[in-house]
Amino acid sequence: MGPSDEELCARIAERDAEAFDLIVERHQARAYRLACSILGNEADARDVSQDAFIRLYEAAHSFDRRARFSTWFYRILVNLCIDHRRRNRWWRRFVPLTGPDDDPDAPAIDPPSTEPGPLEEALRNQSMERLNRALGGLSPHQRTAVLLQIQQGFTSKEIAAVLNCSENTARVHLHRAINQLKKVLKDK
Amino acid sequence: MWSRHPEIVFAPYLNGELDAEESRRLQEHVEGCARCSEGLAEAKSAMDRLAREIDQIAEPDWVVYRAELHRKLNARRYRAPARRWTPRWAWASVATAAAATAAIALTLALSRPQPPAVEQLALEGGWADADIGLLQDYPVVEHLDLLENYDVIENLDSLTPAEPPQHHESRSS
Repeated sequence: MGPSDEELCARIAERDAEAFDLIVERHQARAYRLACSILGNEADARDVSQDAFIRLYEAAHSFDRRARFSTWFYRILVNLCIDHRRRNRWWRRFVPLTGPDDDPDAPAIDPPSTEPGPLEEALRNQSMERLNRALGGLSPHQRTAVLLQIQQGFTSKEIAAVLNCSENTARVHLHRAINQLKKVLKDK
Repeated sequence: MWSRHPEIVFAPYLNGELDAEESRRLQEHVEGCARCSEGLAEAKSAMDRLAREIDQIAEPDWVVYRAELHRKLNARRYRAPARRWTPRWAWASVATAAAATAAIALTLALSRPQPPAVEQLALEGGWADADIGLLQDYPVVEHLDLLENYDVIENLDSLTPAEPPQHHESRSS
């Protein structure tokens, strides 16, 4: 078992490049998926999750070691995702990247830089489309709450810390998110 | 027992974060309540399905991802520092310096020689008037040299007459 996230963060504060690489490898998949689920777009998720790691590197000295690293880091990530959504809201009204009426065979407007083949691209789009359809009716806070519980196993208290709200409010977000998901996923 | 359907604790219950007592109470309620029994099963199914959907998100090439991340980090680290927000203490320093400068300027202004008092002006005014009176006799002033010469002329009588020049006639007699 390697060093804890909190220990790695302390080393990152002293500009330890190896510790930074280690923490990125440890959290990259979960951070990317969470960003993907909140933003509904792979290219944006890639950028925003990378930005979150950059913020982590720059702000590691301000991390309070008594707190849990994952709560602190995912709070950075979620705030970046919500800011990104807010900034791009007006643009998406005119050019929706994904939606229920999208043609799955249509080329992606914003393809990832690794340039997958047409079949892989279509599967990716279908996967994102299904996820977006399931999460489409949720507010950013509801999305975040349910995703943090499902992906990270965060408790209501930890979700509250990430969303900067009370534990009861976090439970209400979860409850409403699950009710909405039940409707959408039942219809499928 | 809960006074109504405890749907709000379904998610914490499924996440295993309720304590033993709360979990036991919820289980008892669900066993006797068809609505909550169905609701809890649906909530579990919805969360499981969402978890499966999230698992199907295609992952990027992580080597490329990290290379991009390092490139961005380096670009940010070596970028010329952006104009920083001036901290509050800096503004306080500027304000203090401005106040000190104003105080010094005020002190200097107050310590400058005071203009003459009204009485002094009146006294000096008298002398000025006399000067002006002299200037009114400008032709006299203009001929001051003449006056000096006149002084000489006036005292001509007291001047010793010069010896008359010797004539050739007396030498010859």
